[in-house]
Amino acid sequence: MTTNYPPAVEAGIARGRKLEYWTLAWLTTVIPLMYVVMGSSQAMKTVWIEDMLGFVPPLAYLLSQRLERKPPTAAFPFGFTRVNGVAFVVSSVALAMMGIYLLFEAIMTLVQQEHPTIGTARLFGRDIWLGWPMIAVLLWSTIPSMILGRLKLPVAKAINDKVLHTDADMQKADWMTGIAAMGGIVGIGFGLWWADAAAAGLISFGILHDGINNMRSSTAELVDGAPRNLEDVNLSEEGELLKKRLELEYPGAIIRLRETGRVIRAQAMGAARYAPRPLEALWPGDSDRSWRFAELSFVPNVENDEVAG
Amino acid sequence: MAKVRDRGVIHIGLLDGSTGQSAKTQRFVRRIAQAAKAKPVFVTGQEEPLLLRLEEGELDLVLGTFDQKTPWGTRVTVGPPLERIVTGQAHQQQLAPAMRNGENAWISLIEREVRHLAPEAQ
Repeated sequence: MTTNYPPAVEAGIARGRKLEYWTLAWLTTVIPLMYVVMGSSQAMKTVWIEDMLGFVPPLAYLLSQRLERKPPTAAFPFGFTRVNGVAFVVSSVALAMMGIYLLFEAIMTLVQQEHPTIGTARLFGRDIWLGWPMIAVLLWSTIPSMILGRLKLPVAKAINDKVLHTDADMQKADWMTGIAAMGGIVGIGFGLWWADAAAAGLISFGILHDGINNMRSSTAELVDGAPRNLEDVNLSEEGELLKKRLELEYPGAIIRLRETGRVIRAQAMGAARYAPRPLEALWPGDSDRSWRFAELSFVPNVENDEVAG
Repeated sequence: MAKVRDRGVIHIGLLDGSTGQSAKTQRFVRRIAQAAKAKPVFVTGQEEPLLLRLEEGELDLVLGTFDQKTPWGTRVTVGPPLERIVTGQAHQQQLAPAMRNGENAWISLIEREVRHLAPEAQ
């Protein structure tokens, strides 16, 4: 089944699409520039690889929100709304990989005491320290990343899109890495060979934490876990309120909730009476968010099926 | 760079005896000695032992003929060429300085002086 969203949510999805196209366009300028200036600097190579990983969430978002519109088929009778969940897993793995790679490179650099080399080049008749063009490209890699991340967050919250939210986390990882790399290059210029690796190592913990949390949420969704918050792995407050509301409405029934993409689907198992009501009337929270409640199904109670906790 | 200035000596490895006799090389060594306010001290030897000593920090600079795609390119910094040598082989060879990785002030000085002396070889 496809989900029909209210106009405000459709507008949010379209805005997310536009932001992701901007992200891809900007990344296609950053990647070649970074390649040109990175030379033999391992720190710059690390940032370059991370920027390439940055392609994954925008592509996942654009592909998923295109596929989820497709109507059900004989092969996919439930439709394609869960494509958003797959995109969420893919994006969160990319973010976690960025954190792991950054941490690994930082540790190897510090353990092996690799001294980064940044020499000079002849440009426009002058000998220029290569650190300066590196810093210039890093600024181009960092500032748009900050702006795009800040623009994506409120849209992700409004449409409850975890792929877009993960991409905003990726943007945060990008600009933090860029700032660490700039600080590292300046440190290298002052003879502090360890500066870049130390800063990158510290930042990698935060990125890895975000990546792991997103992976936990995304895999929970794929195995029909209870709805999670957008920002963390805790059970969603909206979901918990909805569950309590349905338990009141259908006393004695076991209420189960799961998330498929942006929406919540509920199941009342063993309800004494089959009494469907308009879903928006059952939504306990802000009525502007009632679109999140997409389905309520009734099934008989299976005798040996116990719900723990 | 700071170590060279403090010691007042530049330890230079020459890959073969003829390298130190070239006029260009002598001019180059004079210029970097002036810039670093240090006296050059030479040792000669084969490529691998000298580059290992450079890597360990026993030498400050190694001068000699390197293949353009030398496998040592990741372990030491091979600077711009003082002279390109036509050998007829598939890979080009060049008379160039090699410096220890990470000694960025020193590398910058060497690279500047090479370009000043041999702009036609760049």
